This record gives sequence, C-alpha cells and structure tokens, in this order.
Amino acid sequence: MQEETVAVGRTAKKKFWTAIAAGFLAFGAMVAVFGMNMTAVAMPLGGMGDFYVELDELQGEDFHLAPHIGETGEEDEAPMVRNEIGSVDITNLHIYKDLRMPGTENWIRINITSPNVSIDGLIQDARLIDADLDFDSLAIEQSNTDEFTENWTQNAETITITDAKIVTDYLFQSAVSLEGAEISVEEIDEPEMTE
Amino acid sequence: MNSKEERIQKREQKEQEKLEKRQAKMQDAGRLKRWRNRRPFWGATLTLLAGIMILYIPLHLYAIAFAPGSWAFIGFLFGGLVVIIGSLAYIYPQFSTVFGVVTIFLSILSIMGALGGFIIGTVTGIIGGALCVGWHMEEVSADKDHGGEKKMKRAKKDEGTVTASP
Repeated sequence: MQEETVAVGRTAKKKFWTAIAAGFLAFGAMVAVFGMNMTAVAMPLGGMGDFYVELDELQGEDFHLAPHIGETGEEDEAPMVRNEIGSVDITNLHIYKDLRMPGTENWIRINITSPNVSIDGLIQDARLIDADLDFDSLAIEQSNTDEFTENWTQNAETITITDAKIVTDYLFQSAVSLEGAEISVEEIDEPEMTE
Repeated sequence: MNSKEERIQKREQKEQEKLEKRQAKMQDAGRLKRWRNRRPFWGATLTLLAGIMILYIPLHLYAIAFAPGSWAFIGFLFGGLVVIIGSLAYIYPQFSTVFGVVTIFLSILSIMGALGGFIIGTVTGIIGGALCVGWHMEEVSADKDHGGEKKMKRAKKDEGTVTASP
C-alpha cells in the first residue's frame, strides 16, 4: 500500500465570518466615533475629476482668493480659482462625486453629508461657484509680477457664502470636524456634468 | 448514540467528503492551481486590490503629501502597508492569520488620510483580511489500495487522532 500526503489549503468558515464580523464592527465603531466626536483628521479630496460641494451657509475668517491652474477629470491644466480660508463653519454640507462602476455602464454617486462642519486650514480649487457672497473688509489687489497667482488676489477678513453649489476639483483641510456625518452610495442614471 | 453526536459525526463526514474532493482535484490540477492551493490566494489578491484602492487618493495628492501640516502621507503609509502585506501573504502563507488581522486593522484606519479608497478599499480590505484569517493548510494522507481507489485520512493536529473515511 502506498501512502502520500497532500496539503490542502482551505478557509475555515467560522474563522472567516468571525473576522468579517469583527472587521465590520470595528469599522462601524470608527464611523460612530467620527460621528460622535466629529473628528476626521485631514480629509483630502482631489485629482479624481470634478466633484460637487453644496451648502446652505458658510462662515469663514481670513479669506484669500487667487487664480490657479489645476487638473480636472478631463484636462491636466484648467483655469480655476483657489480659495483659502483660515477657519470655517458650515451648515448643511453635502459633498458628492459620481463614479462609473469599473467594467459596467452603471454610475454611482457617493454622498457625504453633515449638518454642522468646522474646518481649519481649508484649501479649495473650484471651477464654478454659484452662490450668494458677503464679505467684510474685502480688498482686491493687483501686483506687477510674473507669478500669475499673485497678479490678482482678493482678501477679506470674513466671508459668508449662502445657498452655494461649487464645482470643485481639489479640497484639502488641515483638520475637519463633521458632526453627524453620513456617507452613502446610491445608483444614478447618469452623472452630473458641468462644462 | 444521541442526536448531538450523530450531528457531529455527520458534519465531520461532510467535511471529510469535501476534503476528499479537493484532494482528488489537486492531484489532477495544473501548476497554477497547485500554487494557489498552497497559499491564501483570494485573501492576498483582495488585500492587494484594497491597498491599491486605498493608495488612489494619496497618489493623486503626491504634490502635497509631504508638505508640512499635510496628513495625506498617512494614506500613503496605510495603502503602502496593505499592498506589502498582500504581497507577503503570497510568499509566507504560514503567517496568513497575522497578515489578515493587520490588513483589517489598516484598512479601517485608512479612512483617515485616504478616505479608505472611497470606503470600497476598506470593505475589500476587511473581506481580504478575513479570508487570510480563515485560511489554513490541512494535511491529507491518501492511501492507494490494490483496486486503484483512494482512501483518505485527515490528521487532527491537536488531538493526535486519525479519522478514517467510511
């Protein structure tokens, strides 16, 4: 009689489901902690094409606007404006991004919403801002320099933006606090496009 | 024999049948299938994919990733580590449990600095990590009798007993 040993690799269902449950539980706990403590550190969004930012009201201090050239979903270099705001409080923020599912014709929309947001060190590159704007101590300056980002700037002590829809290509926050944040994914028929 | 014992015996019998089928498949399998059989292939592959998804956002932010005050490098770190762990799971299958646990941990943490690859990376990482945790090798000995049929035995490491198939 001949005996041979063969090693068979297999997945233990019990271990697998325990690990899955523990993983998703920890994931849920982390999202819940974000929701309760309202803290996410440095949320960068950019380089993946246009995404949309909608908000009811934004109150910011130490506002600075300058021309900027940046990458969009279709172009490597597109003209836009760079907004830098020192500290920001936002009411009813909604960020959404449309993505095509790889290998299919289906589109999904990823939504991030929060009723109260506070941000330190906001940098945002926008292609289109559709909103009502109010400034305090607004200064529009021109400088005779070859550096195009310093040719023409707007600076204000405070800014209030209401009912805004902003086509954004880049967003960076040094520290952001999202109170009661919700992240959801929905299927959509076609993506929102802005020329 | 009470019903509980019967159930346990039935379950073991089923497991044994499954093992026999897999072992029989392995004997006729090609090189790739044999290679896949000896490591947590799907766990490692999903881990690798999760790492690439997690890296997507920080890779697009390379210009500011190492700037003072920027946290995007954390996304680089988490994504990079998940990719490395995925690759190592192919090479060192014996450490698959540790790799799985670390993958799940890093995938969840990657929400900071990389948004968990739009959460898809985090979910893929959790599934890949769980597959690595659940994976193990089982030694099966096959006896060839005179009629050419195979009889299987599975060695239970912890009990030191051998369960013979019916």
